[in-house]
Amino acid sequence: MPNASKSLLSYGLPALVLIVAIALFPSLAPNPYILSSGVIVLNWAVLATAWNFVGGFTGYISLGHGALAGLGGYATGLLITKADLPSFGALIVAAVLVAALAVPIGYAALRVRGASFVIVSIALVLILLLVFQSWSSVTGGSRGLVVPRPFPGMLRPDHHRAFFFLYGGLLLLALATWWLLDRSRFGMGLKAIREDEDKAESLGTPTFAYKLTVFVVSAAFTALAGGLYALWFGDLDPVFQFSVLTGSYIVLMALLGGVRNLYGPVLGAIVVGVALEYFKVEFGNSPLHLVTTGLLLGLVVMFMPDGVIPSLTALVKRLRNREDSSIREVTAADLAEQRREREAAKS
Amino acid sequence: MTLKTVGLRKAFGGVVAIDGADVEFLPGKVNALIGPNGSGKTTFFNCVTGMIKPDLGSVVFGDRDLTGRAPHVIARAGVGRTFQLCRTFPRMTAVENVLAAVRPGGVVHGLRSSHRRTETERAHHWLTRLGIEHLAEAEARNMSWGQQKLLELAGVLMAEPATILLDEPAGGVNPALLDRIGTLVRELNAEGRTFVIVEHNMDLVMSISDHIVVFDRGRPIAAGPPAEIRADERVLGAYLGV
Amino acid sequence: MLVFQSVILGLLLGGLYALLAAGLTLYFGIMRVVMIAHSAFLILAAYLAWWTNDRLGIDPLLSLVVTVPLFFGAGVLLQRGLLSRLRPATLTMMSVLITFAIALMIEGLLGYAFSGTQRRIQLGYGTASFDLFGARVAVVKLIAFALAAVSLAALYTLMKRTQFGWALRATIQHRDAARLVGIDTERTAGYGFGLGLATAAVGGTALSLDTTIYPSLHWHWIGPLMAIIVVGGLGSVPGAAAAALLLGLAQSLLQIPMGATWAQTVFYVALFATLAVRPQGFFGGRLAQRF
Repeated sequence: MPNASKSLLSYGLPALVLIVAIALFPSLAPNPYILSSGVIVLNWAVLATAWNFVGGFTGYISLGHGALAGLGGYATGLLITKADLPSFGALIVAAVLVAALAVPIGYAALRVRGASFVIVSIALVLILLLVFQSWSSVTGGSRGLVVPRPFPGMLRPDHHRAFFFLYGGLLLLALATWWLLDRSRFGMGLKAIREDEDKAESLGTPTFAYKLTVFVVSAAFTALAGGLYALWFGDLDPVFQFSVLTGSYIVLMALLGGVRNLYGPVLGAIVVGVALEYFKVEFGNSPLHLVTTGLLLGLVVMFMPDGVIPSLTALVKRLRNREDSSIREVTAADLAEQRREREAAKS
Repeated sequence: MTLKTVGLRKAFGGVVAIDGADVEFLPGKVNALIGPNGSGKTTFFNCVTGMIKPDLGSVVFGDRDLTGRAPHVIARAGVGRTFQLCRTFPRMTAVENVLAAVRPGGVVHGLRSSHRRTETERAHHWLTRLGIEHLAEAEARNMSWGQQKLLELAGVLMAEPATILLDEPAGGVNPALLDRIGTLVRELNAEGRTFVIVEHNMDLVMSISDHIVVFDRGRPIAAGPPAEIRADERVLGAYLGV
Repeated sequence: MLVFQSVILGLLLGGLYALLAAGLTLYFGIMRVVMIAHSAFLILAAYLAWWTNDRLGIDPLLSLVVTVPLFFGAGVLLQRGLLSRLRPATLTMMSVLITFAIALMIEGLLGYAFSGTQRRIQLGYGTASFDLFGARVAVVKLIAFALAAVSLAALYTLMKRTQFGWALRATIQHRDAARLVGIDTERTAGYGFGLGLATAAVGGTALSLDTTIYPSLHWHWIGPLMAIIVVGGLGSVPGAAAAALLLGLAQSLLQIPMGATWAQTVFYVALFATLAVRPQGFFGGRLAQRF
């Protein structure tokens, strides 16, 4: 079957490359700083892949996933400091809590189409920033929240290495889940929603339940990434955890890499994540970050809404075999069919 | 299973689109719904299929009250529909368009592959039956209007509805395809499916339907077999605006 | 007495919200676009007003002469050049991203040009206030309200009484039908966007009179404004105005027991409650159900 070999090539091979890269990177990284940058990039990769459960399958764009990650981080931190849970127990409980919270949020955001979802996603960031800054008796407010390290006594490079592998595992889990959904009947229904929601509904797909489910799954993975970040970094500040920028970076990464592809967001996260780390070193935090992010986001949306990588592959494919592009193929078949029809009608 | 409405009413602001419609379609037959432009046919379709919630009245299918239920509930109850300006999933292949009509029951079932043998075979069966099997792997957006119409019907058929509502199946298709659609409807009806068709092409309506309901100003003004409708003066009056 | 004072202040603030929400509603009505950059343009206008006063030493209100036509033009360009080029199927989502991107760029450029420092206009009449049945009302707040009220009235008259307003309303209500009767809906939509952005110019100037401004301030405005248009029913101008006054009042009153920061949450609570209970909004808005 040609499909099997094709899917092995497009899913299996990149998976292998990714696994090998994750396994080798920590030993190849020349210094702990590069390794810590690797952790940050993997964090972005998990966030972008988690985002793509909603964005890629249903076409609903969330600008608020940064807040879900922040919530996962704070929940993990608070469960450790206030409820005395063990670090990784807190991480799991936090993800479950955020997933549970995603139900009412999704209920409000997904019952009607499109615009409300985006509005709610942005509002989520703004309200959580407000709450976490003001409610200082619990959250530490602007002073931040210190999260105890899960591996006390571990040296810094080893700490980075451990978290690099943890993030790598989480990324593979998220990718495997996405892949499982992508090839499933459930995923077919979700993609139908992306294409035409009314039509999907009229074919018997319970669109609201589907959207809500996938939003909850997405929130859980996002919260896991956020919680892991809290354990790794050890210090949470509401301004960074509930920043609109986080959400926009995630969207930029996913769109850049291509949302219809399993590995698109990972690729986008590597490109944008590495660029972000590089510019932070070279230029520090400047307002021009905002300008560049905005500009890139605008350019991608205007000119390559399917993602840069898919657009480039399509271009290469077009150049390589001009003769039998898919559109022509069908038009030719179409003509042949019409001819047959005419002849059938005549005889 | 009989599809009927009782006292259905829908107003948009001050405009009453459907005004207390009592309509009963004959099960196992090809029913047609005709009427001048703006007589409320499409709004009626949308109310029946749950795309719009009616203000008053009820929609009943067999012994189930489907009034105001979500479209997917109505679809799962066995009422399938096509859209006036035919709608397919543009970036999905023909096979996927048809497979999208598979309704998983439960989580385990939903996580199984969408391209399982039995279902893919059924999807290809419908594509073959409608004469578009050669386009199985083509994306819907690259297909011609007529092909998309057939594809949309294939998707609806895949869901095995007992009753199928077609909104202007003849709209914008060439004469050869028109004949084929007419034949298809008769064949599918002979296999036991009920049809309800909104259509402007009177030749098609008169040649394929068993029962015709005439709409005017949001309510039925006549109902009966084609010969009877053809002879009805009220119908002529509605069309000529007298 | 404190309550009465808060009611007055709430209504004055509500007027400004109403004007800005009217702009957002216009965009949404015309193209189903949630214009995230609206409040970024608002802050941009406020900065231009501050700059006029700071560098040129003239009254910030005079900056309106430049900013209103400038923003009108920018609105037309934004609609014609960017938004109308997006694919209709994904317009709602992609337009949000475009306007979000513009908001980021404006915020970044403001930070680059004027630094992140907080700015405030020093006016001769800045501290003047007068007594209204026992409530102390700052003159600048009244000026801001008057500016908003006059602009809203002008907008209303334009929409209801002029040929252009008729064309714009026709375009909003039924684009195809409008085209059939000979309206150039594309151009009308562009002008509609210009008009919407002009409200941000007026609002920004009004805002600059008595508010400390900084580049990221626009996030504090877009949240409440989005809440207002959802509560009012997406696409309904009177609904937005009613919701603006109501929520402005609620915010002002809640400041007494809760403080300024927590009082802001009233917008988000109202937003979530509306979407959960009555997604089409509480004041009409027939468009909301599907978008």
